[in-house]
Amino acid sequence: MSHLLDKLNFLESKNLEEFSDGFGKTTNESRDWEDTYRNRWRHDKVVRSTHGVNCTGSCSWKIYVKSGIVTWETQQTDYPRTRADLPNHEPRGCARGASYSWYLYSANRVKNPLVRGRLMKVWRKMRETMDPIAAWTKLQADPILRASYVETRGKGGFVRATWDEATEITAAANAYTAKTYGPDRVFGFSPIPAMSMVSYAAGSRYLSLMGGVCMSFYDWYCDLPPASPMTWGEQTDVPESADWYNSGYLLLWGSNVPQTRTPDAHFYTEARYKGTKSAVICPDYSEAAKFGDVWLNAKQGTDAALAMAFGHVILREFHLDRQCEYFEDYTRKYSDFPMLVKIEEKNGKMIPGRFLRADDLDGKLGEDNNPAWKTVAFDGVSNSLVAPNGSIGYRWGEDGEWNLEEKAKTADTKLKTTFVLDEDHDDVLGVDFPYFGGEAYGQFETDADHPDVLTRNIPVKRVKTADGEIAVATVFDLFCANYGLDRGLGGDWVTSDYADEMPGTPAWAEKITGVPADKIAHVAREFADNAEKTNGKSMIIIGAAMNHWFHMDMNYRGVINMLVMCGCVGQSGGGWAHYVGQEKLRPQTGWQPLAFALDWNRPPRHMNSTSAWYAHTDQWRYETLKADEILSPTAPEGDWDISLIDYNIRAERMGWLPSAPQLKTNPLEVAKAAKDAGKEIPAYVAENLKSGDLEMSCEDPDNPANWPRNLFVWRSNLLGSSGKGHEYFLKHLLGTDHGVMGKDLGEDGGQLPKEAKWHEDAPRGKLDLLVTIDFRMSTTAVYSDIVLPTASWYEKDDMNTSDMHPFIHPLQAAVDPAYESKSDWEIFKSIAKKFQEITPGYLEKETDIVALPILHDTPAEIAQDQVKDWKKGECDLIPGKTAPAYIAVERDYTALYDRFTALGPMLDKLGNGGKGISWDTQEEIDNLAALNGVQLDGAAAGRPKIETAIDACEVILMLAPETNGNVAVKAWHALEKATGREHAHLAKGEHGNKIRFHDIAAQPRKIISSPTWSGIESEKVSYNAGYTNVHELIPWRTLTGRQQLYQDHLWMLAFGEGFMSYRPPVDLKTITKDVQDDGDNLVLNFITPHQKWGIHSTYTDNLLMLTLNRGGPVVWLSEVDAKSAGIVDNDWIEVYNTNGALTARAVVSQRIKEGTTFMYHAQEKIVNTPGSEKTGHRGGIHNSVTRAVLKPTHMIGGYAQQSYGFNYYGTVGSNRDEFVVVRKMKKVDWLDKEESWKAPAQEAKV
Amino acid sequence: MDRTLKAFSLLLSYPTCELQHAMPEISAVLASDTRLTAAARRALRPLVEELSGRDIYELEEQFVLLFDRSRTLSLNLFEHVHGESRDRGGAMVSLVETYREGGFDPVTSELPDHLPVLLEFLATRPPLVAQETLADAAHIFEALNARLIRRESPYGAVFASLIQLAGVKADKEAVAEMLAQPDDDPTDLEALDEVWEESEVLFGPDPNAGCPQAREMLAQMDLPVNPAPRHAAE
Repeated sequence: MSHLLDKLNFLESKNLEEFSDGFGKTTNESRDWEDTYRNRWRHDKVVRSTHGVNCTGSCSWKIYVKSGIVTWETQQTDYPRTRADLPNHEPRGCARGASYSWYLYSANRVKNPLVRGRLMKVWRKMRETMDPIAAWTKLQADPILRASYVETRGKGGFVRATWDEATEITAAANAYTAKTYGPDRVFGFSPIPAMSMVSYAAGSRYLSLMGGVCMSFYDWYCDLPPASPMTWGEQTDVPESADWYNSGYLLLWGSNVPQTRTPDAHFYTEARYKGTKSAVICPDYSEAAKFGDVWLNAKQGTDAALAMAFGHVILREFHLDRQCEYFEDYTRKYSDFPMLVKIEEKNGKMIPGRFLRADDLDGKLGEDNNPAWKTVAFDGVSNSLVAPNGSIGYRWGEDGEWNLEEKAKTADTKLKTTFVLDEDHDDVLGVDFPYFGGEAYGQFETDADHPDVLTRNIPVKRVKTADGEIAVATVFDLFCANYGLDRGLGGDWVTSDYADEMPGTPAWAEKITGVPADKIAHVAREFADNAEKTNGKSMIIIGAAMNHWFHMDMNYRGVINMLVMCGCVGQSGGGWAHYVGQEKLRPQTGWQPLAFALDWNRPPRHMNSTSAWYAHTDQWRYETLKADEILSPTAPEGDWDISLIDYNIRAERMGWLPSAPQLKTNPLEVAKAAKDAGKEIPAYVAENLKSGDLEMSCEDPDNPANWPRNLFVWRSNLLGSSGKGHEYFLKHLLGTDHGVMGKDLGEDGGQLPKEAKWHEDAPRGKLDLLVTIDFRMSTTAVYSDIVLPTASWYEKDDMNTSDMHPFIHPLQAAVDPAYESKSDWEIFKSIAKKFQEITPGYLEKETDIVALPILHDTPAEIAQDQVKDWKKGECDLIPGKTAPAYIAVERDYTALYDRFTALGPMLDKLGNGGKGISWDTQEEIDNLAALNGVQLDGAAAGRPKIETAIDACEVILMLAPETNGNVAVKAWHALEKATGREHAHLAKGEHGNKIRFHDIAAQPRKIISSPTWSGIESEKVSYNAGYTNVHELIPWRTLTGRQQLYQDHLWMLAFGEGFMSYRPPVDLKTITKDVQDDGDNLVLNFITPHQKWGIHSTYTDNLLMLTLNRGGPVVWLSEVDAKSAGIVDNDWIEVYNTNGALTARAVVSQRIKEGTTFMYHAQEKIVNTPGSEKTGHRGGIHNSVTRAVLKPTHMIGGYAQQSYGFNYYGTVGSNRDEFVVVRKMKKVDWLDKEESWKAPAQEAKV
Repeated sequence: MDRTLKAFSLLLSYPTCELQHAMPEISAVLASDTRLTAAARRALRPLVEELSGRDIYELEEQFVLLFDRSRTLSLNLFEHVHGESRDRGGAMVSLVETYREGGFDPVTSELPDHLPVLLEFLATRPPLVAQETLADAAHIFEALNARLIRRESPYGAVFASLIQLAGVKADKEAVAEMLAQPDDDPTDLEALDEVWEESEVLFGPDPNAGCPQAREMLAQMDLPVNPAPRHAAE
């Protein structure tokens, strides 16, 4: 209705009464028209929430609700203020987040529980006469019935189910699997708990109570940089984005801040206004490149060469020709530079070997406790060898000397970092360093001018050891030689001329990276110069791109070396900033008991996903990379000629990596057998493993007894986004149509593995049941047997934290979940309830046996200072020492739900803790009982309730030091015992500060400093990693206790990575004559960066986001490459190799460097993707042309910082060394006719 | 109550065994409504027969595929009007308010713009009011009908009947606009390409003239700002 008829346009009434000093007046005409404006922004309530999965932004939003419907959202602007002279955090939130309410009611939402129709029909029929577990047993025993739904995965055919039915099938399948094969055949995958930590915990708590397997994500996503645990003994710890502002020099390396860190980018901009200089390194002209004062467009995959040259310049100008006092002091105290390395002889050649340890010396330097784990340095005060405080030997078995004070045996020391002076060394020896520059292939520059071993002169001291006299050198002297620096000691392969094309120099790097040598020297100099003037305020913001190469550790260690050389780590405004994939779960120690049911039983089953998927999707059967292709020419003697999966099997056997499943025999049965035999479980398992009566599952992944049987995927799009080797998942794990075009090693006549058992016919369809919990019909959901609709981010209560800012804030249910959906917490609760109902008679109270690898941050981490394999008879099998520990865990399957919904008694008994320290937490448990109430009946009667998601939040907040000041003080005191220093001042005054859910609902709250993290929250500095190491003298959790730039494990030396060096991308040989069609000549390096048109990997299928891009999958090409293959912008193109094929539109752009092609991560195949001519099936996703390849150095365990931890260490799924053929499509077929999606499974054409 | 509208509400709901049992009654209601032409009533028969006689699992699979999974066939009317825009929330709010003014509270987990919900509501309204509302949505019914016919689905007949009940001809332009959506005619590739084509970006009056200032700035960036520190090796 127009209001023209009511409103006066030309007249004003004369009889007006005025009030409020004339600011108000009474009128006579109707004022209804004003309602139009009032109603436009009228709402019933505003609720604080955020976007729950996988965006680091973690921005607080206001959600507006009217009549029970979400109408729009706006950014919250009430973050606590920062301090003077530092910009505030807000506004946080980007266009992607602001469009989420549009998506809430989208047609893409899953509305009801869906079950594959053929499964539903059979199920209901069987349920007429059988109980649920009997029905599932019958169904699995009939191969035709099983195949009827397995083979239709990904081809439609869903019907709606009730919650009751869907949870019943799921629970029955789980119970059957636990009973028949073992609970460790039930897998669950969910990533990034920091974003909606209760939703994550719901599933992992259910699995952990059952004995199921929680799968890691950080390593699988290849966002875990193994260089971080290697160097710091820390998974990843980084500065908050506000600390960028404190920096004097920002190096953006492979990170595209304006595009992928939108809510934080303002700090980068503000720092530029303050005068901070910025250099940007990336191969393409990215959005970040536009911000840089300098743009270095290094060739993709050659970053380590660039880093080496930077290091060469920094060492030359700031450490050798002139010694910068700050750098010298910092590296002596905080790095392994002064530690001594044994120079070992191999066939008459000298190579850097193990760190010298107290154990090597006569009298062991007076160290009785762990002398094999105390590294040795030369002290200039006493002119003698000392075992300085802080090495890992001091961490376990004694108190008070695990710190970084410049002391050894309570005496003051000043360690020598070099023996270069004539009076300091006894000799100068030629020592061998491996050089990999000649191994490059294809478009990467091959350096044929240098041999694969470079012998360089090193100053050494002679020391007497228990085995006679040996030569030792400092890490620093070896380190400088490794960078090719001439120090006046003569010999080959070193130089003092930057223009010399010697490995390590700017001129050499120019040849490899394409970046001009003078620019390299210029940036290195500015970076170090700023660090010198500011005591370390030079920062490197590093992108995951750098970490996705097979030799990612070389890239990362090259960068870390620069930061350590310049004293930047642990200084506000300095250090490394890697913001990828892990996202800091700040109240971690409060969350773990909830998430892994540590309050009921320990340990939980954790698995490193990369190794698991590699084995279970049979990607190992197609392995093209042989160990000898990556082995060092200086490798010590050994049995190195085995397949990559064989390395993994050895690692599992020696207790380095976890296993899932663990034993070929059901662990519930093994426990019974042990009991019958009257033996202790560890002894029984050890005995039978040795005799061969028990086998580890890893040795025969294709045996049906060792398949994963059930898989839950929640908060994740495993098949549409992160599944490297997508087509192998489809072929082997799911058993449906796939696009694999290569042959396996058996068909190809390749070298078969030695340890892994080979079956001629590979299994198809290992999974009995795939359950996906999502709010949208993702690619994973499409391939599932059961899809459960979950509450979206404005429909549930939960919590978020991030590494980008120090605040904790909530997700809240602004409205009830739409349609039939429920929150993840309620979904898993209802499955647990079903499980408890149906299981009696099948599973009761059972003893389970959990195989536990040797874990980092536990006393066991110093298990194996030598590599010995019990199976080869090199040592005895001692569980927990030379093999996994085998631990009995008592489960009560008839009380699964009762336990799920209550806080168990294990915390009362064992306390809580993390990262090597623990504390009593009875007070917090009592407080929780008072706050949440207690269960009145059931198996958990008397225990604090965890009924609702808010109850669960309160558990986390109460138990975590970051959100409960009382716990923080206890945690700092616990650490004080180990270090012998006072730390509790860091939480001083926070004693009574307890953050509750309702507090964070009112306003985001800054967390409290805790020893879980290496940065602090204070009024003076922003959060930055390594801060407490440098300022509180808490050692890094490494072998040497310092930032460790030299790695001396046998496998590190075998694969040539004692020191960092440039290693060219590896040849994965995926473009074979068989697969490459005649005339298809364009071969490009395939890169998958993050996009602008989705929240991280979620919701590119929002129509608005699609419209901002091209409405479907796209691949970027350079103009030159496109022209050579006759491709113009917007053409449909096909991208393929032996792994599979994908279809997309071409974006032809000057931005892209020749030789590469970009496909943005996570574009779904459910959106506008036509069929592939190559495979005859719907074109794949970006991971259709990739395959995971393992690296043995990531499997190392039982060795201080190189010990396993969930999402901390382990194999990673790299994918950037992949090459693809790109061609224009002749004909576009949408496969949208009924026949095409109902067609029976066909073999891909080979 | 308008039993014909109520019948259509049922036909467009998720098929159940209960619905199958009620099909004779529903069929009778539809067959006797003279507001529908004989041809329209005849056109409804295949759907009636299918819902009466076909295997319930096949019916359910088909329903999920058509109406839960295909966004262009969504039974949530505002999907076709507002898509994923901010207006959608507001539109749903006013629809809920309309139901409330009419004396009803929605008690379903479906959203207010779900067509069977709306049809049930309209079945309780005076005929003229119902007709007016149906007329507003006629272009959506027309488009859904066309899409269902293309898929050879018998559900199309329901939408053809709804248009008759609305008593109007659908706005041709609006229908054409809806049908122009890309995945609707996948065989016409050239038309598709046009949709996705991006226009060329041109800089300035003469794109080939270059930009002298930028060139100078770039040259400056190439010069080291700080000279090498003291004692640097050269």
